[in-house]
Amino acid sequence: MERLVVIGAGMASGRLLEHLFEAAPEKFEVTLFNAEPRGNYNRIMLSPVLSGEKSYAEIVTHDDDWYAAHGVTCRFGERIRRIDRDRRVVVGTTGEVPYDRLVIATGSDPFIVPCPGHDLDGVIAYRDLDDTNRMIDQPQGARAVVIGGGLLGLEAAAGLRLRGMEVTVLHLAGHLMERQLDPAAGYLLRADLERRGITVMTQASTKCIRGDGKVETVELEDGTVLPADLVVMAVGIRPAVALARDAGLTVGRAIEVDAQMQTSDPDVFALGECVEFTGQLFGLVAPLYDQAKVLAATLLGQEAAFAPKQLSTKLKVTGCDLFSAGDFAEGPGREDIVFRDPARGIYKRLVVEDDRLVGAVMYGDTADGNWFFGLIKDGTDVSEMRETLIFGPAYQGGAAADPMAAVAALPADAEICGCNGVCKGQIVSAIEGGATDLGAVRAQTKASASCGTCTGLVEQVLAATLGEAFAMPAAQPVCGCTDLSHEDVRRLIKAQELKSQPAVWQELGWRTPNGCHVCRPAVNFYLLADWPLEYLDDPQSRFVNERKHANIQKDGTFSVVPRMWGGITSAAELRAIADAAEKYDVPTVKVTGGQRIDLLGVKGEDLPAMWADLNAAGLVSGHAYSKGLRTVKTCVGTDHCRFGTQDSTGLGIRLERRLWGSWTPHKVKLAVSGCPRNCAEATCKDVGIVCVDSGFEIGVGGAAGMDVKEVERLVKVATEDEAVEWTVAFVQLYREHAKYLDRPYKWLSKVGLDWVKETLSDAATRTALVERFDLSQTIYQTDPWAELAVREKARAFAPIADLTLEAAE
Amino acid sequence: MDTVLETTRTFVEVAEVWIPEGGRLVLSGGVYGPHSAFADASRQESFAKGEGLPGKAWAEARPVVLKGFDGSYFKRAEAARAVGLTSAVAVPVFAGQSLKAVLVVLCADDAVRTGAIEVWAEADGVLSLDDGYYGAATHFEWVSQHTRFPRGQGLPGGVWAAQTPILMRDLGSGYRFVRAESAGQAGLTTGLGLPVPVPGGQTYVLTLLSARGTPIARRFEIWDARAARTGPRGTARLIDGICEREGPLWDPENAGNERIAHAWEGPVGRVLATGLPVTETGAAAGDYAMMVGLPIHRGGELAHVVAWYC
Repeated sequence: MERLVVIGAGMASGRLLEHLFEAAPEKFEVTLFNAEPRGNYNRIMLSPVLSGEKSYAEIVTHDDDWYAAHGVTCRFGERIRRIDRDRRVVVGTTGEVPYDRLVIATGSDPFIVPCPGHDLDGVIAYRDLDDTNRMIDQPQGARAVVIGGGLLGLEAAAGLRLRGMEVTVLHLAGHLMERQLDPAAGYLLRADLERRGITVMTQASTKCIRGDGKVETVELEDGTVLPADLVVMAVGIRPAVALARDAGLTVGRAIEVDAQMQTSDPDVFALGECVEFTGQLFGLVAPLYDQAKVLAATLLGQEAAFAPKQLSTKLKVTGCDLFSAGDFAEGPGREDIVFRDPARGIYKRLVVEDDRLVGAVMYGDTADGNWFFGLIKDGTDVSEMRETLIFGPAYQGGAAADPMAAVAALPADAEICGCNGVCKGQIVSAIEGGATDLGAVRAQTKASASCGTCTGLVEQVLAATLGEAFAMPAAQPVCGCTDLSHEDVRRLIKAQELKSQPAVWQELGWRTPNGCHVCRPAVNFYLLADWPLEYLDDPQSRFVNERKHANIQKDGTFSVVPRMWGGITSAAELRAIADAAEKYDVPTVKVTGGQRIDLLGVKGEDLPAMWADLNAAGLVSGHAYSKGLRTVKTCVGTDHCRFGTQDSTGLGIRLERRLWGSWTPHKVKLAVSGCPRNCAEATCKDVGIVCVDSGFEIGVGGAAGMDVKEVERLVKVATEDEAVEWTVAFVQLYREHAKYLDRPYKWLSKVGLDWVKETLSDAATRTALVERFDLSQTIYQTDPWAELAVREKARAFAPIADLTLEAAE
Repeated sequence: MDTVLETTRTFVEVAEVWIPEGGRLVLSGGVYGPHSAFADASRQESFAKGEGLPGKAWAEARPVVLKGFDGSYFKRAEAARAVGLTSAVAVPVFAGQSLKAVLVVLCADDAVRTGAIEVWAEADGVLSLDDGYYGAATHFEWVSQHTRFPRGQGLPGGVWAAQTPILMRDLGSGYRFVRAESAGQAGLTTGLGLPVPVPGGQTYVLTLLSARGTPIARRFEIWDARAARTGPRGTARLIDGICEREGPLWDPENAGNERIAHAWEGPVGRVLATGLPVTETGAAAGDYAMMVGLPIHRGGELAHVVAWYC
């Protein structure tokens, strides 16, 4: 008999032994070493053992009887000190064992983030039964922090939670399992875990772990401190190759093997997580089993070659149904097929390239996962079934996505009419009680009776409740990605507390993976306006002017407009502007209609340096490019003018300092005139204030562009403080209710000035609006020039290639 | 493992299924063991909505635990007393708004029989014990009455959050089971938790906790019947299970090679086809004295089947 020594009793070597004993029971005399004091068990089922849904006894693959029956000499709990290839022996802690053939199956070691405190008691990896038992032995009510939101980390988190612990998951990337899932599926997974009482923090970078001998807290880079009794590191694995390297075998990222699993020594083989094959490493069980089969054949003198295959992913958390396979990155030439069912929490996305399915991500409905996986593996031409592909193999003329699914999915307590606080349940009750048209619902419930922006939603509730008995008037959808109108989307973002783009795409049943150039800027605005603290502005969802913080001109250069508060400047500021104009060869310097100075013809790459110079002189961005506050134009008022009735310049400066930096549905221009002669042209602005002896007349909804319109009187107030309060409240009401790209006058024509007046005339409402505006300003009132002038970000403005050099040659 | 002694008495003595017919609940099937007199009494019975134990579970749309029949609304009290049955649990099976059936299990009291059938109800964001029958496990009963489960925690909280049945092992060892210490003292080994969906959306979780000496079941099975998991209707996959004779019943490779049940084939297949609970005995129940298959509907469609055999 040949002497076969196997180092490591994991799943790969276990499968190898099964194949060997099955094919040639008498050929090998096997000695099996394992550092763990036990034999082979189904390591991938440790998560259910942790959660209590399986027992260790159930996951043992080879018990003592099995090893005895096959004559395996077990040396469990014994580490190998070294391999002596010249003498063909392995040296264990209790002595040497000679071999004819040697198999290295040492697997991998967990990667421990080398942050300060990583060696404290209570910081553990999640790799084997001992780690699992340490987690199980935690006292009742313990708090666990799991670092790593990949497969293993999330399974650990769910298991710990099921056992009664308070669990927080920290994940460095923007969404969970980012290697296996796209953001939409990551959003659903996160929602699922949060439903289990698990706290999920993404973009969370661990700074250090603190404690006096034992873990007490985990501190993040952003300063957050999390109390913890247990820290589980599940950030990845590293092949365990020290033994092989010391023995002089060829080791790259792992032990290098050929397709027969042979190392650089013809009598030494390796398999499992410790090997590297054509530059690839292996972490999932399927390829390991393939390797075991190949190695068994090799050892028996048969022909076999290992070839890596496509892999699919499963998460073993009871009730979390997700599937992912192949490649689903966006790219040129790739098309997406998306299906969403918000009511059932289903998301399916297929990625097609050259008539072949290349990737599939599914959440909630994974029944067809293996069928899609087969199509990916086989490279099947799917052009014939493209139209119905997403419905799977059982498709029999199945229904297309229901455009009303999002509304049908709303719970009864979702607020439909924000003005009158009417929930879906009340509307449904009214409809069931006989209110079968919009007018009747409006009369009975007051839903859509005020600003009217929820009219579309009320009609959809009617249609969902009455079915064909109600004919839906056609509403203009935002874009081809959805059937919902802007007003519907706004209302639903509030009613369902949707706080991220993936949440909007999923819960409102978007037909595309991430929206399009039409809906993304709108949804980005709605989210940041409604959830200033929770939502993070997405620059990729903005138009080029807002990304570059400057207006792009027809020749590709930009214009730069520094802010001049209320149109007031100084000699020093003018000097700085003149210096910048000279330094950067600005061809045109123009005074604008809004009382600002516009430097036109600036090269993109000069922008950061120019901003830095202007910043140094105390000037900030004038936001002349943004859907936000542009300018407050003023006349000189009582300071200099004989006719001035109030300090119009002072009020203008005050308003501009309060409002600047805020994002709005469309641009907002203000003016303050000191007397009815109206030198600041306040009566054609979005908000125009005309000062009179007895106070301030605030007009809104003016325009002087494609449409010319005089403002309508909103209110007359006695004091400057009141004028500021009303103006801020009006701007916030506009921010919270208007459709993206509607100027205030368009919005007013939809909701009616009466409703705006009525809403703002309530002092408490006004105060609340001002408070919400100020809260938003704590985040958004920042100078983009100061942020972007720093060196690293300036790189984004540098040209990709310097074509002038090439031309010169 | 074929030598398991099955001479011990079981925790549940009788299981029966009542289905609505013409506005009343009528008996559609049951396993009565030696209690034929009680079986005869049951066959002559029917219940209006709100009447007796099954009618109460229907009317109140919730699982109902009844301990002590004398002087209660239990209509068959005399027949039950005659054969020593003392407690019962009625579980309504709803598919969306409509009642499909009521499953009633009856137990006999004595000083040694240990196990638990519990009903947990959500109030103020946590699950607390609505009621339960524990046999001789009185300390465990006390612990359960004083335990609350937030979402995701413990067997009831886990079932609530995952919206699927969950089978837990080794209840008494370690801290795997929130009430482990007391469960260990009571000899409880395996726990099956399942959601009981009712109209109106109130959350109920039913748990069956089995003890080695007086098992609620010697074999537990959880079948996933959701179209979103198994494809075309009419099939179900055995996603978890444990058996004293066969050992683990799940797919150890985690590779999608679970056992599959087809509509109309066997008792589980009958649950799949009809959406109604079944009770069986003898050969049809795999030679167990009693088999109960209980459907769990979600969104009006059959989602899971749990089965237990003893």
